[in-house]
This record gives sequence, structure tokens and C-alpha cells, in this order.
Amino acid sequence: MAKIGVYVCHCGENIAGAVKIEEVMKYAETLPDVAVVRNYLFMCSDPGQDIIKKDIKDGLVDRVVVAACTPRTHEPIFRDAVESAGLNRYFLEMANIRDQDSWAHWHDKTGATEKAKRLIRSAVAKVRLAEPLEDRYGDMEKSVMVIGGGVAGMFAAIDLANMGLKVYLVERQPSIGGQMIKLDKTFPTMDCSACILTPKMVEVAQHPNIELITYAEVDSVKGYVGNFDITVKKKARYIDWDKCTGCGVCTQICPSRVPNEYNFGMNQRRAAYIEFPQAVPKKAVIDRANCLYFKSMDKTGKPACQICEKGIPPKGIQGCPAGAIKFDDKDEYINLKVGAVIIATGYKVMEKTHFKEYSPHSPDVVTAMEFERILSATGPTEGELKRPSDGTKPKTIAFISCVGSRDERYHSYCSKVCCMYMLKHARILKEKYPDIKLYLFFIDVRTAGKDFEEFYVYTRELGVKVIRGGRVSAVDVKPNGKLRVRGFDVDLCSPVELEADMVVLATAIEPPAGTDELGRLFAATCGREGFLREVHTKLYPVETASKGVFLAGCVQGPKDIPESIAQARAASSAAAALVIPGKIKFEAIISEVDREKCSSCGVCVPLCPYGAIRLEEYKGKEKAYIEPALCAGCGVCASACPSRAITFHGFTTEQILAQIDALAEA
Amino acid sequence: MEEGGVNVIDLTQGDESFVKELEGLGADELRECIQCGKCGATCPMALAGLEFFIKRIVHAANLGLRDVLLEDSSVWGCQSCNRCVEICPMDIKPYEVIQALRRAAIKVESCPANTYEGLRNLYKFGHAVFPKGFEERRKKAGLPEKPPTALSYDELRKKYQEVLKQTILEEIAPFPLD
Repeated sequence: MAKIGVYVCHCGENIAGAVKIEEVMKYAETLPDVAVVRNYLFMCSDPGQDIIKKDIKDGLVDRVVVAACTPRTHEPIFRDAVESAGLNRYFLEMANIRDQDSWAHWHDKTGATEKAKRLIRSAVAKVRLAEPLEDRYGDMEKSVMVIGGGVAGMFAAIDLANMGLKVYLVERQPSIGGQMIKLDKTFPTMDCSACILTPKMVEVAQHPNIELITYAEVDSVKGYVGNFDITVKKKARYIDWDKCTGCGVCTQICPSRVPNEYNFGMNQRRAAYIEFPQAVPKKAVIDRANCLYFKSMDKTGKPACQICEKGIPPKGIQGCPAGAIKFDDKDEYINLKVGAVIIATGYKVMEKTHFKEYSPHSPDVVTAMEFERILSATGPTEGELKRPSDGTKPKTIAFISCVGSRDERYHSYCSKVCCMYMLKHARILKEKYPDIKLYLFFIDVRTAGKDFEEFYVYTRELGVKVIRGGRVSAVDVKPNGKLRVRGFDVDLCSPVELEADMVVLATAIEPPAGTDELGRLFAATCGREGFLREVHTKLYPVETASKGVFLAGCVQGPKDIPESIAQARAASSAAAALVIPGKIKFEAIISEVDREKCSSCGVCVPLCPYGAIRLEEYKGKEKAYIEPALCAGCGVCASACPSRAITFHGFTTEQILAQIDALAEA
Repeated sequence: MEEGGVNVIDLTQGDESFVKELEGLGADELRECIQCGKCGATCPMALAGLEFFIKRIVHAANLGLRDVLLEDSSVWGCQSCNRCVEICPMDIKPYEVIQALRRAAIKVESCPANTYEGLRNLYKFGHAVFPKGFEERRKKAGLPEKPPTALSYDELRKKYQEVLKQTILEEIAPFPLD
């Protein structure tokens, strides 16, 4: 027969203020198998726990009910206490008489007291049937995959590699660098973005512990925390990277021209190209969709162009000097085994085409990211400020913030960095061209960050005009080619308008295409806005719902470079802390299938949100199997199983029914 | 610009040289204003309902909206209480902006007519505003005809006028400086 101890916590006034502790205790004493009932001001404190430990050690108690706050935060503490006194740690049950009782029924003392009795009665009924459970351990692969080679992914990879772990850095583009490498300068220090990032790119490429896999994507994922089996698809490059020296000959002689994505289509690249001048690795790829060789092969079966390979002999133009062109290159699939994964696939900026009211058809209306390229020395104008339409130098530029952000039709969130990069653009321009007229239209200026406000005031002092409350309603192209910007100025309390040569739209930061699919591969969920979701905004900001899968950078939500790096380093620490011990603890509260009872219906398989259940051969039949490492203990399968073949340890059917009976008792 | 009966302010007319002019006339910290609005909350004239008052004036000055400011008489309503200067968190000294605007306005003769009256009085009598027509009553009460202020000291007033003649007033006074 069980000897149950019931420990009622006052939680200061949190519980005692609404629940009559004495009355509850008297009632608890009458419950079956209850041997001891005690109370304390704070059960979670050391002296509070000591009361429980002493009773167990004295042999008075062998099952424990703590009537207190939420098990979410406090169950582990009491489990440890129970275990340290020599009992199985799962011989503990909590009755949540705070969140579910005293807090909710603050003004009904009698009702709250009655409810507390019921909750305790139910916990006692359950703990009587508790079974001893054991934590299990599995082996851990001591390597990490980082997906995304932007600033966050790179820093995560370097940190992990410096800890001695093997790191696979997978990047979709031919070169690492992400969005940051496209920026001209960074706020608030006005560092040259490429100058501070390029050395880091080189460090990543040269680090002995980092295997850099660019122009590649995650194709499929099997396994679970500690033992992920990941297949990575290395896209065909049609150029042998072992031979390619990055000399760039093919990128000059290739006759096929297409819009250059790196500069957002504002100039052209060839079908054979190196992504940007300081690319790492500096290797060329051939873009199959635009290559004339493949185009004609697909149409006629004969190659029409092999200039990159053979050159144009009559004109004395030589082909690839390294002999690296490889038209028969194929996509390659490689299998990697890693213990943990960090997803750092960053963001993309929203395109201007969504905003009809801002004349997106006009080449002089550009997104801030495009403007960043216009300002950059490696951009389409080599850093010279030119109007895209006619190449003249603009005299007046209007900037519009919150384009697609803070807008229920597109994205309800604040993209966080736009205010600052608009001010940064203004500052770059004003320092270079003091006579330029700049009008910045903000809803309100958000410069919450170290040295950001000072940056704002300094920029104002340069003579930048800040129009607040002024989300522009319309940008129209006038017959003379200039742009008319119409807005409202809250400070003047008047509608305003303006004739500008260029308009820069601070378009929203969005999750990149494929974030949802990537998340699904790893059973990591996306939030409403499409960014990957952290488990807990405050306490677990880099963990996903999927164990061993971590987040860094803008894929989790908009953030600036320092924040991305901070998060990357946090994610790498979290991943390392998981991987380095080489062992992983699996939850004891998980579901298990009794295969003799399993009817092979398969209902449980698609229900499992963690992908932990599969059907596998057992005695000649397909039976359900639950991978203990993946099971998160949600219990969905156990409640759905029509054959009652699934036992949810810690919440067995008998326990749940006993609990319900106890609650329903009059 | 008129549009549907609503006055739309055309920012293109904003003139950076006007901002610089104001800075030269004492509003040196003008561009640092972040439009927090604290000045507007304490300004007695804003409370009294002057439409274009302090916060807006500073912002319009920052935008270089010369015509908007010169056509509006609000700057002349300032009572020089200096509350705005005391509480401005960015240390803009909004009153100095008002003063700079008045200096700029008077240069182009863009001020209310009574301003000139006051100015002439100041030059002639040493007071912009002073009691007139009380000589008889003062005598009855046993006081000197004129109060013992600048009005009573012709010698000193002449000296004062000499000083004024050496200022910009010489150029811009819309009345003869005799």
C-alpha cells in the first residue's frame, strides 16, 4: 500500500490568499493512502524541499503530491528532491492549485478551497498508481550541421569548429556571405560591410574543422537528436571546382546574359558566373537554365555553344585555361551524420511589386536593398549615385519606411532594422553629397539600440528631413519623369507633398522562400509570419520544438547584425552543450507500443507531431514503433489508439481514468 | 498648393539656405530637434490656441519652409516666457528659434503692422509699449508727468538711439531714424 505525502504550498500569498490551507490539509488527510499532510510558505525553497526529503528518508512517505504552482517550471525541482531522498523521481505528482485555482478564483475563497481539494484528490488518485520510470541515454554524434552561410551561420560554424567539433556548413548560393555581404556599410559604426565580413568568410573556408558545402541544399532528413542522417544535394555546377581557379575567363566570354540576382537585376551577369568579386569559395558555376549549351541540347540535341570550354579560336579567344568546364556534371547527393543542426537561413526583403501605390514600375523607385547595391562599390554603378532611369545624379530622394511592415495586409510585425538603415543611407549620402535633399518618411522613428539614438540625432544634424507620422500614401510618376510623393506630416499636422528624383522603399524583412519546407524537414515549426519559431520567446530563444535543432539569425525573426551574431553564438553554445557530452538523455515520459496488441491500423503515424512513429515489420506484419528519442511525450498517439496498444508512461490509461473519477466525485 | 480645399504643404519649396540662415541668426541647435513635443505641452500660446505653435514652428523651420513661416503670424505671438528653453530635452532652445525667425522676418518686412509700431516706439521712446495720456492724472496724484523710465531721460535716449543706428536696424527700419 502506498504511503502518500501531500505538501501544500502557500506560494506566499499567491495560494494562501485565496485557498484556506488548513481546511485543504484536513481534507487531504481523509484521502485514501495519504500518510502525511504538511504545508509550507514556499515548498520550492530549500527548507520546503527538505521537509519532503526528511519524510521520505524517515520512511513515512513513498509517493509525493505537491500542491503548488505549475509543473512547467517546478516539476523538475521536486523530482530532483524526491530522487535525492531515494525514491523514483516519477513517484511525484503536482496539483496546480495556483495557476488553475487561486489565481483564477481569487475572489471566491470558498470555491477556490473546494477546487483545491478536488485537484489534490485527483493528484492523489493518480500518484497511487504511479509506476517507476527510468531516464534513458543514447549516443550522440559529435558534429553539427549549420544551414545557411550568412553572417549568423558563419559565426555559429566558427564557434563550433573552434570548440573542436566537426561542422558542415551548407549554403544554397555558390558563395557564403548571405545578405550582409551585399550591404554597403553597417550601422551604427559605419563599418564597410564587405571589409569586416570577408575575413570571416575566409576564416570559414580555411578552418580545418569546417566542411564548406556551397551551392547545395538539404534534401532529406532522417533520424533524431544526436543522430541526424541528412542528405545534402550538391547542385550540378557544370564546372569542376577541383580544377576551377576562379580566374573568371568563362564569366567574360560566355555570351548569355541574364539579370544579376546579386544586384537585384540592376545589371547583368553571364550564364557562367562567379557570384561576386570576393566570393568564397571563388569558383564559377554555370546556370543551366540560361546556358546556351543546355538550351540547344534540350531543343535540338546538339550543343550550340561551348565558348566557355573551347573559346573562339578564329578570334584568338581561349576557353577555360584550367579545363574545368564539365557539361556532364550531375547533382550529387551526400549523406552526413550529425548530432545537432543550426538553421540560419536568414531573410529576404519583400519586393516592391506588391505596392502598386508606390509606382513599382518606375525604375527610380527602388527597394532599400537595391539602393544598398547602388551605394556599394561592387554594385551595378560601382558605388556612384545614379538614377536607374537615366543615370543622372538625383538631387532629392524620398525614403519610405514600413513598406509591408506594420501592415496587416502584409506583415503585422516591425522589421526592426529599417529605421536604422534608412538613417544610415541618409548619412552615407549626406556625407558624400552635402547638397542632396533627403526626406525620410517614418511612421515613428524606432532607434532602440546601443548608440542608435545618437546616430539618429547626428544624422538629423546633417540636414536630413524627418517626416513623422508620414507613411506615404502615393508615389506618382510625373510627365517630366520625376516622382511625386504624397504624405502627411503629423508634426506640421498637414498633408504634404514632394517632388523627388528617386524613392527608396524600406520593404519588409520576410522569411526566405522554402523556410516552411526546411522547417518541416526538421520538424521545427513556423510562426504565423513564417519565421521559424523558438520554443519559448524568453527562456529558450534559440531552441526549436524539435530537439537538437537550433535557430540563429533572421530566420527566427528580423534582427540586426550584432543580434544575429549574438544569437548565432548562443545557438552554437546550445548545440555544443548538447553534442559535446556525447550522450543524450531521453525523456522517461514517452509512449510505447505493445506490438502484440497493435492492430496495424496506422492511425497514430500521421497524428504524431514529432514524426516519431513509423510502421515496421514485426512477426510478419507492419506494426507501429515509437522512436523513444523523438517522442516528446505529448500523448496524442495513446489517446487515439483504438486497440489501446499504446501506453503513455507516466500517464497510463488507468492513471488518467483514476484522475477523472476523482475529479468527478461529488 | 490648393487641392480639394485642403492646404497641402509642398516640401519641395523647403529651402536649406533658410535653415542655415536661421542657424546664423541664433537657432544653432535647430536640426537636433527630434519633435518630442515637450515644448508644445508647456507653451502658453499653444494652450491659448495658436495654431502654428512652437513644436510646429521648429519643425517647419527645420524643413526650411520659409513662406509657410513668414506668412503666419504665430511667431509674433510668443510671450518670451522661456518655459520651452527650460524644459527642452534636446537643448534646442525653441525660443531662440522664434527669435531667429523674427529676425529673418523683419529683414523681409514680413511682420504684423503693430510690430512696426512697437519698434518705432522702442526707437523713439525706449519702450515698445508704454502708458500714454496719463500726464494730467499723474500731476493730480502728485507724480511727475512722465514716469522715471527712458521716457524721462532724453539725453540717455539719444545715446541709445545712436547705438541702435549702428545695428542692422539702420538697414531695415521701415521708418526714418532721425
